[in-house]
Amino acid sequence: MNCQEFWDARPEPDNAEGRQHLLECDECARRMSRQQRLEAGLGALRQEWRTVEAPPRVEQGVVAAFRSQQAHSRSRSLRHAWVPLFTWATAAACLVALALLLVRPHEPPAAHHINRSGGIELAAVQPAASAATADDDESSSDGFLPLPDAQRIAPGESVNVVRVEVPRSAMLVVGLPVNPERVSELVEADVMLGSDGLARAVRFVQ
Amino acid sequence: MSQRPHETDQELLARLRNGDEQAFVALYRRRQGAIYRFALHMGGSASLAEDITQEVFLTLLRNEWGFDPERGTLSGYLFGIARKLVLRHLERSRPDVALEPDFEEGGLPEPAANQDPLEELTHRESLDALRRAVVTLPRRYREVVVLCDLEEVDYADAAAALGCPIGTVRSRLHRARALLLDKLTQERGPRHGVQRLKPLRCEI
Repeated sequence: MNCQEFWDARPEPDNAEGRQHLLECDECARRMSRQQRLEAGLGALRQEWRTVEAPPRVEQGVVAAFRSQQAHSRSRSLRHAWVPLFTWATAAACLVALALLLVRPHEPPAAHHINRSGGIELAAVQPAASAATADDDESSSDGFLPLPDAQRIAPGESVNVVRVEVPRSAMLVVGLPVNPERVSELVEADVMLGSDGLARAVRFVQ
Repeated sequence: MSQRPHETDQELLARLRNGDEQAFVALYRRRQGAIYRFALHMGGSASLAEDITQEVFLTLLRNEWGFDPERGTLSGYLFGIARKLVLRHLERSRPDVALEPDFEEGGLPEPAANQDPLEELTHRESLDALRRAVVTLPRRYREVVVLCDLEEVDYADAAAALGCPIGTVRSRLHRARALLLDKLTQERGPRHGVQRLKPLRCEI
């Protein structure tokens, strides 16, 4: 090992070859001695500085920042938890609105407000209604057919009748025959809505 | 939840990410001293060192620079952040010049009889001289001495913090030590001569 190789290996730990070089080279041995004293001095400096630390206010500052961040992230996650709920609620509202639009595109100029006890109040062209009532099994005399699974009209309950266009296939719901070739055609129908706004019975105009 | 014995930085970091304040405090107390001293040595100002220490741990909290355990230890990562912050400050405030110590204020030790500045390097005055020599090193040599010699960071972590290969760390450290020896020798030599050759004022 020559001098260049010896110093190129520094500052890695000495090996046997390096120690042999120091025995043979006075100049490198002297230089090495200075290096070792420098390292000892750096070690002493390291020991002296070991107790130097950031003042407590720095810790207080970062801990306060940590707490603030945690509080912020908690409130943010709470807000995020509401997002899906809000999304579903909005979607449900949109579906309801869409359904209402589809049901009411051809609403007659005035809805027929029928009172079970007083007959038709607003209808100008409709006969007195005695729609599907609790004691009606199938159809009433005014042609209304109760919808499957719909509640019956209670005596004295206020109802509304709206005229809509529905696919002819809707007639199948109340058991009326439908020509398969005309199943997609639109037909006019009067839908009787109960006081809760739900459809109770239907009457096909044509 | 309290700190568990022998908990690694990684384990503390994992708890910290789950919002565990005790883990954050434990991690801070474990690493703040070295970061503060590094910033102090590099920036030369206690208030700057405080700011940088605080900012390093806030950066860790915000996870801004994305610690990747595959690329090094958390210690090396924190030193890397501290170094970037120091450099940013130095670039803003002044060009990269070594800090000039106030030789007159502190006073230099009396020259030793054998004129070897390393003879009694562990003495108080000699340690001051060594400290001054460290802070007057050019920045890239100063940072490697502070990391490897004063903070005992291993070469791999130092390389990660400095963003350079390990071989570069070694060669810079070698060069830095040679520069330190030169500075210590120069500091005693010329001053000793100056003391002997006091300026005279001619009186007419």
